[in-house]
Amino acid sequence: MAKLTIPAQELMWGGHSACPGCGPALAMRLLLKGLGPRTLVSIPASCWTVIATPYPTTALRVGVLDNAIEATGASISGLRAAADALGLENVNIVGFAGDGGTADIGLQALSGMLERRTNAIYVMYDNEAYMNTGIQRSGATPWGAWTTTTPVSAAVHGKPEPKKDIMGIVLAHRPAYAATLNPAFPEDFDQKVERARALVGPRFLHLFAPCPPGWKFDSSQTIALGRLATDTGVFPLYEVVDGRLRITRKTGGLKPVTEYLSAQGRFKHLSADDMAQIQAQVRTDWEHLQSREREDLGRVH
Amino acid sequence: MIEIRFHGRGGQGAVVASELLAQAAFLDGKQPQSFPFFGVERRGAPVTAYTRVDERPVGLRTSITAPDAVVVFDPGLLASESVTDGLRSNGLLLVNTPRPPESLAAPPGVRRAAVDATRIALSHHLGTPMLPIVNTAVLGALARATGVVSLESLRRAVEQFVPARPEENRRAASDGYSEVRAVEGTGSATVSGPKARPPAPRLPEGPIASVSSETIHTSAWRTFTPVIHLDRCTKCNFCWKFCPDAAIEFDANGYPVLRLAYCKGCGICAAECPPKTIEMVAGA
Amino acid sequence: MTWKVLSGNYAQSYAALLARAQVVSAYPITPQTSIVEKIAEFVSSGEMDAEFVKVESEHSAMQVVISAAALGARTYTATSSQGLLLMHELLHWASGMRAPIVMGVINRAVAPPWNIGADHTDTMSQRDTGWIQLYAESNQEVLDTVLEAYRLAEHPEVRLPVMVTEDAFYLSHTVEPVDVPSRADVDRFLPPREPHAVLVPGEATRLGSFTGPDHYVGFRHQVGEAMERVSKTLAGVEEEFREVFGRSHGGALPTYRTDDAEAILVTMGTSTTTARSVVDELRSEGHHVGLAKLRLFRPFPDEEVRALARQVDRIGVVDRSYTFGRMGPAATEVSAALYTAPHRPELTSFLAGIGGRDVTPEEVRRMFETLLSAAPPRTHWEDLEEAEEMRVHG
Repeated sequence: MAKLTIPAQELMWGGHSACPGCGPALAMRLLLKGLGPRTLVSIPASCWTVIATPYPTTALRVGVLDNAIEATGASISGLRAAADALGLENVNIVGFAGDGGTADIGLQALSGMLERRTNAIYVMYDNEAYMNTGIQRSGATPWGAWTTTTPVSAAVHGKPEPKKDIMGIVLAHRPAYAATLNPAFPEDFDQKVERARALVGPRFLHLFAPCPPGWKFDSSQTIALGRLATDTGVFPLYEVVDGRLRITRKTGGLKPVTEYLSAQGRFKHLSADDMAQIQAQVRTDWEHLQSREREDLGRVH
Repeated sequence: MIEIRFHGRGGQGAVVASELLAQAAFLDGKQPQSFPFFGVERRGAPVTAYTRVDERPVGLRTSITAPDAVVVFDPGLLASESVTDGLRSNGLLLVNTPRPPESLAAPPGVRRAAVDATRIALSHHLGTPMLPIVNTAVLGALARATGVVSLESLRRAVEQFVPARPEENRRAASDGYSEVRAVEGTGSATVSGPKARPPAPRLPEGPIASVSSETIHTSAWRTFTPVIHLDRCTKCNFCWKFCPDAAIEFDANGYPVLRLAYCKGCGICAAECPPKTIEMVAGA
Repeated sequence: MTWKVLSGNYAQSYAALLARAQVVSAYPITPQTSIVEKIAEFVSSGEMDAEFVKVESEHSAMQVVISAAALGARTYTATSSQGLLLMHELLHWASGMRAPIVMGVINRAVAPPWNIGADHTDTMSQRDTGWIQLYAESNQEVLDTVLEAYRLAEHPEVRLPVMVTEDAFYLSHTVEPVDVPSRADVDRFLPPREPHAVLVPGEATRLGSFTGPDHYVGFRHQVGEAMERVSKTLAGVEEEFREVFGRSHGGALPTYRTDDAEAILVTMGTSTTTARSVVDELRSEGHHVGLAKLRLFRPFPDEEVRALARQVDRIGVVDRSYTFGRMGPAATEVSAALYTAPHRPELTSFLAGIGGRDVTPEEVRRMFETLLSAAPPRTHWEDLEEAEEMRVHG
């Protein structure tokens, strides 16, 4: 057998209730590989509430706590406080929330957790809409995407507002660690999880989590689409340690975003102009990211 | 009153079918009622939906436990005994399958009907081979096999209420209507009724769960099943790495082994396998 | 033990300290703030060995203690009025999780208009959340009840969260002598929490979970069964409290001079103290009147109320809040308890002290007069220029 490039341990069981090709399911599996068994995961109302399977079964070989949709930040503060008070050592406290539960209704609790420097890892698995309730737009839904609450008509080309910059919001809190992760790049994913695990303080992981039924692509294409997201610059991979940003996957040149957009039914209504607009924005964001990296590098030396 | 229970898998359109049938019955001048059982609505996961059709307004708001007809969208679901639970002995079992109706196992006395709705759907470009949208073809077959609605009303309902590809769906309904084959039941009909509803169990105190989800098998979710041709396998582990269902492990020699009880047939392993040694084969 | 002149709020803080609460979380709201300020001092000075999580909302405060309790910690929080209302969703979570949280609630009016006076609308709105509710009348009772609340919440027969309430300003900011027990005595009365159904690092367990209709009903029923056992458990806890500290507070519905009474007033919180003095006055004038203090509101002490009704023809219930479209909430409950009573007295719902108005001795005296009049009304609003009777549901 070739040497494994990510940990062998499996802390997510089969038999779970995720859709075929589910990005969030793969993301959880990879996350727990990097964190190990002494992990407590607090999960708000989201796809993972259901994926984790009904009573009396559970899909994770770690402790799982259900919490109200808007309260994940507070929940992990409570778990950490109890772990400290009870003298429980070497425990990873993790919040695992969707984009709606994080960037919309859970933003206040997330901000509170980051500000009070809770020693925990907050994970936002981003499938870019309220998927558990059946594909309604969230603050993390990208511009132009079809959802059931941003229906496409002659006048309206999907969601008219851009995606909320959750990493920008998080970084404004100066977390101990923040990174973007994509399960299509498992080694990069694992390195970031293990780096986060080793640090102390509030840590934030933004997980790219493709959703075949919500984004309307074939379930076999989850990884291929994930790769395209990063290689087109739509979802660049980077990390920020102590305020210093480093891009962890550099591409010689970005692939055109049309490759990424045209692979998904949720963007099929977009015109050439629409796509050009998205392309321009992605390029600008990518340039900003690169210049931020150069600046931060300059700051170190 | 006629009570019909639909069994499908998330994404096949069973819930839409139950509603379309109600719309068609209404166009026939009947008083219909239709509703889904809202459980774990996941693409590929078993789903149930109900339709009642009567001359008078339906006076029941409960799930259907003694159906006159059971409609099965996916033959893989037949493995689950609960599909025919409570089916009346003079009732009908309609299955989407390429096999003849004679081959269907059904409770004694139950009429059996078969239609190859998957083939019909794909011939009209409804859905993908991975997820064919078979509901209109199945409804055509149901209209013929039960007479619960007229084909004309069904076609009008499809036209009015199916959002995508109405013309293709109408043709699929007609094809289902003309292609369905039904045979009488075997054995003597026994008087059966709905299963007694078990009382809620006594539970240990507090909502705390600790049974492994691997006690749940998801193989019935599959439309396609991966087959690994080990002769070409390079043991690169990609299939294992990318499996969202933790359904791949290794044998003593480091070759990947499928844990088919948990595979949902998403096809990621086949798509990501660099030497393309994994093939997706139709069927669970 | 030491006598200290303490506010009701400090009585809460000292009780949390003595109970050795391990995780405290709170968000400031008038008139609760001095509770958590004092706890912050205790933690800062090292007197109290607890994690104090300062949060950005009451909603988060409740989630912090729920999650901390889920790992086995003993927890404390406190709030009031709007803060309690913001917690509402999570109050259901706490009871459903069987989290033995103890919370101090300062009963305060609900906006609009803004009003920080004493009023029970905040806790009455939480009647159906699965929390045990205990109402206190003095600062001593506040401190003692918080200690009892931990025993009750963590008791294997119960395992439910408890709120211990006190009237805004009449207790929260009133100082009076309080006998503060010694740590050794409290440790004797209240051993460390024995965790049940909690998460353990390294173990595959899910707390909360989700269920279809089959299991859900069972879990709801369990909470109901635990509630059924509260009254009896409280009696036992009070007995042990008396053994250790030499005092107790009369269980669910302590009564005062109800023997041979023709009319009894049922009161909650601080109006009880004033009413007790009025009963003494009226008794000395030869009137046969008595008093019952509704100390335990959830679960509601049906048995005790029915026993009380056996001996009286007129009952008045004094509510510091109003259920729009009904009557006083406590009066509604008393009325429901009396449905199966062999003897059903006339019942009047008095609305008094709403939004922080004094419930004066004169007012209490008038209530007794009204009760003893030829035809007492169904509801009677005190404090209005012209007494208004609402007979919509009479």
